Amino acid sequence: MKNNLHALWQLFFGDSARAFGSASVILLVLLAVAPAKNYFSEWRHYQKQYLHLIRGRADAVTLERHFQGGIQQIWIPEQQVTDRCTTCHLGMKEASLADVNSVAFREHPVIPHKLTEFGCTTCHRGQGAATTVEEAHSATEQWEQPLLPAKYIEAGCGQCHLENQTGTPFLNQGRQLIVSYGCTHCHTIKQGDGIYLTPDDDPPSLKHIADKTTREWVYAWIKDPQAYAGTATMPNYHLNDDDARDVSAFILAQSTPLEPPLQPLKADTKAPADPAAGTSLYGQSFCASCHAMQNAAGMMVGGNVGPELTGIGTKAKPEWLQDWVGNPSHYDPGTMMPHYRFDAQQVVTLTGFLESKTEPDFIANVHLDPATPEQIEHGKRLVVENGCASCHDINGIKKPENFAPELSRIGSKPLNQLIFVEGVEHSLPGYVAGKVRNPRAFGPSLKMPQFKFTPQQIDAVTTALLALTDRAQSQPPTMRIASVQQTRYQPAGNAGQLMRDLRCFTCHMINGHGGDMAPDLTWEGTAVQREWLTQFLKNPETLRPALIRRMPKFNLTDAEINTLADYMMTVYQTPEFDRDSLPVSQFNPAQVEQGRQLFYSKFACQSCHIADYKNDKGYIGPALAATGKRFNAAWVYHWLKDPQALRPGTIEPNQHMTDDDARSLTAFLMSLKSGGAQEATKK
Amino acid sequence: MTDPKDFVAVVDSDVRKTPRRIAFITKRTSPQVHVKDEERVMTYPEVFFRTAVAIQVLAIILVVISLRWNAPLEGLADPMHTPNPAKAPWYFLGLQELLHYFPPVVAGVLIPGLVVMALIVIPYFNINIEAEGLWLRDKTRRLRIFGTVVVLFCIFLAVFDVWVALVPTLIVAAFMLLAAQTPPQITRGFRGWLASKPLSFWIMTWFLFELVVLTAIGTFFRGPGWSWVWPWRT
Amino acid sequence: MANTLDRLADQVRENRIWRSIFRSGTGESNLHRALTVQQNVFLHLFSVKARKRTLEFRATWYLGALTFGTFLILVITGILLMLYYHPSVPQAYADMKDLQFVVSSGVFLRNLHRWSAHAMVFLVFAHMFKVFYRGAYRPPREFNWVIGVVLLLMTLLLSYTGYLLPWDQLAFWAVTVGSNIASAVPVIGAKMRFLMLGGTAVNANALLRFYVLHCVILPFAAVVLIAIHFWRIRKDGGIYPGESPAEGDAK
Repeated sequence: MKNNLHALWQLFFGDSARAFGSASVILLVLLAVAPAKNYFSEWRHYQKQYLHLIRGRADAVTLERHFQGGIQQIWIPEQQVTDRCTTCHLGMKEASLADVNSVAFREHPVIPHKLTEFGCTTCHRGQGAATTVEEAHSATEQWEQPLLPAKYIEAGCGQCHLENQTGTPFLNQGRQLIVSYGCTHCHTIKQGDGIYLTPDDDPPSLKHIADKTTREWVYAWIKDPQAYAGTATMPNYHLNDDDARDVSAFILAQSTPLEPPLQPLKADTKAPADPAAGTSLYGQSFCASCHAMQNAAGMMVGGNVGPELTGIGTKAKPEWLQDWVGNPSHYDPGTMMPHYRFDAQQVVTLTGFLESKTEPDFIANVHLDPATPEQIEHGKRLVVENGCASCHDINGIKKPENFAPELSRIGSKPLNQLIFVEGVEHSLPGYVAGKVRNPRAFGPSLKMPQFKFTPQQIDAVTTALLALTDRAQSQPPTMRIASVQQTRYQPAGNAGQLMRDLRCFTCHMINGHGGDMAPDLTWEGTAVQREWLTQFLKNPETLRPALIRRMPKFNLTDAEINTLADYMMTVYQTPEFDRDSLPVSQFNPAQVEQGRQLFYSKFACQSCHIADYKNDKGYIGPALAATGKRFNAAWVYHWLKDPQALRPGTIEPNQHMTDDDARSLTAFLMSLKSGGAQEATKK
Repeated sequence: MTDPKDFVAVVDSDVRKTPRRIAFITKRTSPQVHVKDEERVMTYPEVFFRTAVAIQVLAIILVVISLRWNAPLEGLADPMHTPNPAKAPWYFLGLQELLHYFPPVVAGVLIPGLVVMALIVIPYFNINIEAEGLWLRDKTRRLRIFGTVVVLFCIFLAVFDVWVALVPTLIVAAFMLLAAQTPPQITRGFRGWLASKPLSFWIMTWFLFELVVLTAIGTFFRGPGWSWVWPWRT
Repeated sequence: MANTLDRLADQVRENRIWRSIFRSGTGESNLHRALTVQQNVFLHLFSVKARKRTLEFRATWYLGALTFGTFLILVITGILLMLYYHPSVPQAYADMKDLQFVVSSGVFLRNLHRWSAHAMVFLVFAHMFKVFYRGAYRPPREFNWVIGVVLLLMTLLLSYTGYLLPWDQLAFWAVTVGSNIASAVPVIGAKMRFLMLGGTAVNANALLRFYVLHCVILPFAAVVLIAIHFWRIRKDGGIYPGESPAEGDAK
C-alpha cells in the first residue's frame, strides 16, 4: 500500500517537470470551478422552476413566448434603480398567474404604477442589483436595506406621496399620529419637499398654570397623564415620586398671575341651581363637537379637538373655569376654542356643570409638603433635562433646539449606527417600532418618554417614519406628489376680527386655511341666500341633528351677525359664475315637474338624498327638502353640472347632465321649501 | 572591526569563475578555510520548474480561498456616515494603533520614516556582519548600556500609556537577559542559540514582534472609538 | 501511449515555427539548457546555473518566488477587472455589484485579486524578515536589499491605492484615515495630501488619481524594480547560500 502511494507520488510529483504538469492540471481544474459555479447559479435554478411551472398550464405557449432567459434588469438611472428582481420573479406581468401559490412567480397585484417606470426596490427596498435570494432580500454586511416587511409596505408609497391617499390608511394614520402627538416638538422632520412637519397638538402654556390648577393635580398628572384622561396625548416620563414632587414644585413656582387677574367666583356659582340646565347648555353649545366626556355608561362621547372633560372639576379651579368659559382667549390667546357669547347666568351654569365633573380618586392620595427652594431648583433642572419646554411655554426656560435626533432620513438609517437591545428585532423596522413602543427600553438614561399607543398605532407610526428615506429626500421633484398645505389666509377687517374671536378656522376651511371638521366656506357667499345665512348664524342648532359634531350657537348679537353675513356674502364668492345669474322666476311648473321626474327616476337621487321627509329614505347625502330656502339657483345648477369643480373630493357623482336636465332639476330643488326644519345642507 | 587582531579579511581573487566573496575569519574559527566548488544545477529546468510549482501551489491555495470566501464589500461610500471605528487596511493598523497614543507627527511620520530609513541603512553599517553573540565580549559594559536603554524606553512608553508596545519590549528584553546569563560553555540548545545572537538580531526581532502585536491588536482588538474589545465577544 | 505523446511533443518542438521562437532546440545537454536560459529575454535575468543548496526549501522558503507569483496573479486578474471597472463616482460601486451579480465569474476574479493582494503584502514582509534573519542582505547584496525595501513600499502603495477603488464604506474611510496621516507631515503635509487626493477630500478626483496610480504608474515602477531585483540576484552572486559554506560542505 505504502509502496503504491509512493509510486503514485513519484508518477505525478517525482521530478520538478512532472510536479509542474500535475500542479498545472490541478490549477486548471480549480480555475474551471468558477465558471461552473456561475453556471449553477441560483437564478438559473428559479428560471428552470418557472419554466416547469408554466409548461403545465393551459396558456403555456403564450407564457413561454413571454419568457426570456438570462439575467433581466429594470434600469432607471435617474432614480438609481437597477433592479434584477424580474430575473427570478418571472410572472410579475402575467395576469394568468394570479393564482399561483409560489410568491416568486405570482402576478404582481394591480397597482397604478408600471414596473418599467418605477422598478421594484423603489417601493419594496432590498438590493435590486443582487441575483441571489439572500443578497436581494435580506440585510447583509454589504446591504443595509432589506426588503420592507409587508406590514410596513405603505412606507414605500409615502416616499413620493406626501398627500393622504385612500389606499394607504396606515401611512395616513401614522402621519396624523406624528403630528397630533407632537413628535415634531422635539424631533425635526423635514419631508422630501422641504416642508417641515409641524405638530398640531397645541400643548398648553404653563406660564400661568397656578391660576388654572393645583400642585397636587400637576403632580398626579406628570406621574401618569393617562390616569387622568385616557385620551391624553401627553407622554409618561416615568418620574419617581421625588422627581415628580420637584417638577410640580417648579412648575407651580414659575407660574405668574394672569394679567388682568382672574375674577373672584360669583357668589351663586358655588351651588348651581339646576344640574339639568348645565347638561342642557353643554349640549346646546355643542361642546361635544370638540370635547369628549365619559357618560354615565362609561362611554366616551365627543370630539378630540379639545381635551377630554371627564374630570375637569378635579383639574381646573372654579375661578379659572369661570374665566375660561367667559372668554378662553384671556387665559390662552392662541387657543382653538371659540369665544362664546354666554351671559352671566350661562357662565355660572356651565361652570357649575363642569365643576361637578370630578375624578376625586386621581389626587386622593397626593399629599405634598410646601416646596423648598432646593426642590424647586432640582425641579427646574429636571424640566430642562427632560425638555418640557419643547412643548410647553415655561417662564424662564427657552425652547430647546435640536433636543432630539432629526428623523428626516430615519427610514434609511444604517443599521450599524443603531444600538439594539435585547428583545428588539435586529432590523430598521424593528428598531423604529421598538423605539415608538417603549423608548426607555433602549437605556434608562434616554430622555424620550413613553407614549400611549396601541400596537396598531405603533405600526402606523413606524410606517410613516420608514417612509422618510434618502430616496424621498433626493429623488427628482417631478416624482413627488405634494401634500395639501395650509395657506396663511386671514380674513380682514371687523369681520375678520370676529371670525378669529369665534375661531371659525378651528372647524371651517376658507381659502385653504382652517380645519376639515365643517364645510369649506370659501364660496359660501355664492352658494347660499343671505337670509338663510343670518337665520343660521342666529340659530344654528337645528342643522344636522343626527350628528354629534355640529355648529354651536355662539349667541351673537344682530350687529355681529350682520357683519359676518355681509362679509361672507361679499367676499366668499366664486369667480366662475354670478350667484344671481339664474333667477328662480325663470322656472316654470313644467320644468319643476320634469325635474321631479329626473330626481326620482332618471338619476334616482332619492337613494342618497331626501326631498320629501314623508317618502324618501336616503341618508347618505344631506337632506334637500329646504334647498329653495338655503341655496341660490345658480349654485345648485353648477353643482349638478360638475360637483367636483366646486368642491374637489366630494363623493357626489358627476352625472354629466345635459344643460336642460340640470336646469329642470334645479327648478325642482329650488321649489323645495320645507317649512319649519331647514333640513338642507350643502353636502 | 578592522582591528587585525580580531580577524582577517580575504578576497577571493578568481572573480571570473565565482562571484566575489568575502570571508571573515575570526580568531575563534580555524584559520584554515576550506573552499570547494559547490554542487550546482541548471537553472532550466530545475530552478525554473521548482519555482513554477511553488507559484502554482500558492495559486491553487489562493484560488480555493477565492472560491470559498468572498472579498468584503460594504455599502456605497458615504462621506456623511463615518463607520466606527474607521480602520485603515490591516497592514497599516499597527501605525493606526500608534496614532492612538502618539501625536500624528510622531506616529504617522516620524516612526514609519525612521523604520524605512533603518531598513535601508542596515546593510551599509556592516550590521550583523560580525554575527557575533551580543554578550560574548565586554558583557558588563554592554549590560549597563542595554539596561539604561531599556529602562529609559520603557519609561517613555509608560508615560504615553503604550502598554501594548511595552509588553513585547519587556519580553524581548527578558530573552536578552536570559542570553546574557548563559554561561559561555553552553553553545548548544536553545540557550546556546540565544547566546549566539548579535544585537541586530535582537533589534529586528523586537521590531517584528512589535509589528505583529500592534497589527493584531489594531485588527482584532479595537472597536468603536478605538476602544478595547475582545474579538470573541461580539 | 507515452511514446506517442513524446513523439508528438518532439514533432512540435522540431517544428520550424517553434524553432524560430525557441532556438535552443530540444537537447537534454547542459548546453541546450544553458541556451534556453540565455536566449530567453525573461530567463536571462538569471544565471545559467544555481547552487543546489539554495534551492532547498529551508533556504528561502521560496518567499521571493511566491511574492512574484502573487504579483503575476494580480497583474492578470487586475487587467481582467479593468475591463469591468469605471473609476467614477458612484459607478465604481455599481461596477462592484455588477461584478458580484452579473459578470460571469466576476466575483471570483475580484476575490482572487483581493486575496492575492493581501497575500502579497504578507509575503513581502515575510520575504524581508527571512532575508534579514539569513543575513542575505550583507555585501555585496546591500543594494538589492535597498531595492527590496523600495519594493516593499511599492507593494504597500499598490495595495493602498487599490483599496479605494471599490468605493465602498470600507474603502472610503480606510483611505480617509490614511490620507489624514499624510497631512501630519510638518510644513508640506497639507500640500502632500492635496497632491495625493487631487483635492482636499476623498472624492471623485482621488478615485481617478488612485486608479491611475494603481493601474499604470505603480505597476510599471514595480515591474522595472522587480526586473532589477532579479538581475541583481544574479549579479550579486546568486541566491545567498547561507552563513557558513563550511557547514554546507560537512553534509
